[in-house]
Amino acid sequence: MSDPATVAPPKIVESVGVVLANDAYAGGQYILRLQAPEIAARAVPGSFVHLRCAPELPLRRPLSIMLRDQTKGWIDILYKVVGRGTAALAERQVGQQLPLLGPIGNGFSPAPRGSRPVLIGGGVGMPPMLLLASELRREPHFRPVLFLGSEVPFPFAPKPSEFMLDGLPPGVLATMPLLDDWGIPARLASGQGFAGCFDGLVTDLARAWLAQLDETARQSVHLYACGPTPMLRAVAELARGFDLPCQVSLEEHMACAIGGCAGCVVQVATPTGPAMKRVCVDGPVFDASTVF
Amino acid sequence: MGSEGLELKIEFCGLGFNSPLVLLSGCVGFGNEYTRVEGFSHRDVGAVCLKGTTLEPRLGNPPHRIAETEGGMLNAIGLQNPGVDHVVSEILPGLDFSETRFIANVSGSTVEEYQEVTRRFDDSPIDAMELNISCPNVKEGGVAFGNDPEMSARVVEACRGVTRKPLITKLSPNQTDIAENARRCIEAGSDALAVINTLMGMAVDIESRQPVIGNNQGGLSGPAIKPVALLKVHQVYQVAKRHGIPIIGQGGVTSAEDALEFLIAGASAVGLGTGLFYDPLAPARINLGIMEYLQRHQLGTLAELTGSLRLHQ
Repeated sequence: MSDPATVAPPKIVESVGVVLANDAYAGGQYILRLQAPEIAARAVPGSFVHLRCAPELPLRRPLSIMLRDQTKGWIDILYKVVGRGTAALAERQVGQQLPLLGPIGNGFSPAPRGSRPVLIGGGVGMPPMLLLASELRREPHFRPVLFLGSEVPFPFAPKPSEFMLDGLPPGVLATMPLLDDWGIPARLASGQGFAGCFDGLVTDLARAWLAQLDETARQSVHLYACGPTPMLRAVAELARGFDLPCQVSLEEHMACAIGGCAGCVVQVATPTGPAMKRVCVDGPVFDASTVF
Repeated sequence: MGSEGLELKIEFCGLGFNSPLVLLSGCVGFGNEYTRVEGFSHRDVGAVCLKGTTLEPRLGNPPHRIAETEGGMLNAIGLQNPGVDHVVSEILPGLDFSETRFIANVSGSTVEEYQEVTRRFDDSPIDAMELNISCPNVKEGGVAFGNDPEMSARVVEACRGVTRKPLITKLSPNQTDIAENARRCIEAGSDALAVINTLMGMAVDIESRQPVIGNNQGGLSGPAIKPVALLKVHQVYQVAKRHGIPIIGQGGVTSAEDALEFLIAGASAVGLGTGLFYDPLAPARINLGIMEYLQRHQLGTLAELTGSLRLHQ
């Protein structure tokens, strides 16, 4: 079995990002916009940065790139306050400087021409899916579909989608406005009863849509996912059930993020038996079937 | 740079080092990892210690393997490595020995395993070997040997018998009398000492009431351990200087000032580990700071600094 993560990563840059925005959203979520032109230029979908959240916390934190503007030189990062690092990051003000390393990691391997990418993101796992969608939209033949889930209010104002998706329960119409602007059909899921969202797990939402496809259409689907481990496990099951290729982006506690310390490993199946792979540079994207 | 005539080159166990800085085992994988970073160069360091290597491949410990702590971090990697034969045949040929010196880190569960790994590295281009008798994160060997001067000496003696390459013994701070252990290792044939390895520690998740680290306990590194490391270097130096044995001082170095403290306390070279995680381009920055210090104090060589500590009487 070949490792799907075969996109040769660019060199990692040690740079200083300037905070352009650090906006709070419900549920302890923030979107950080950093001026970091070299990283914006080199990032690929799946890339992350290793960010020093505050001077007093010298160990950096790995955070996925959600959007980037190569012309203006900024990157957007979605994070949720879960510990000391992200709490300190939430305190950063516009104009402050943050040392960061990036872009790091192997990106998603490109979907073959004629395939139908289906992207599933959960919570702060949404960012790599959005960066991937932003790249896929440049090649209209892909016709990607996104399913996003969150148990806290989404960090954007959902609106009814202009695009139809078959097989979903009535009233499941909410999408992320940006995706509509990009011409990409998407739907949202939550167990919190948010208006227009699928009431349940994002993986059940994806399953409902996949199930109504005819066999030929379904066999062209390639799954991509990032989110909490239980969600990724469910996506891997979904892929197994429908016999679809599936790439997942993982996270783990990291020290160096350069491949030096082997602190961030995940156990993967290889032809020669189990192996410990580093999430930072062997991943963060892995073939789901080798991990789950 | 204003450092005419000054240079940081040193000789360590007969090996030419570009700088007194040594990148520490377990922090730089098997040598080439940091070349992913733009601007990083092996030419900025005297030597690179490869990851701990055992006779057979090891998967290492389950996640989480690291946890941030006040002023440092805990790790329990557990000697994940592909085995010595793979390192020698697949990894060493990919290293550029013209850029820096590469030091193997020899690990094992038995005296015989240490000896066999040493023997196989002896028959390779590796420049030197570090005997890791102080890894706190494996059940057998490691610190179990390193905390017992008798066992430490047996490991060194066995390895000495199968190589003429420089042997550096990495000493544990988790023992009663590190100076006595150093003496035994020197008498058993060690050419140099690395002082110190990590301190054993733990972090607890108060919600789950479980240790944060998958291995339950780990090794503490980073600035938090620097004062401990400095004292151990000072203590070991009292023994080592009588035998003309050099020390790699290490533990919490992040700046030129830290490196200078270790040199003054008795080190001839200075290890950089966790500090590299904080700043992967630290070597060039630290070199510059040391150079400026030498100039400011009108010192011609680094050797003049080693052990120049002036104790209060």
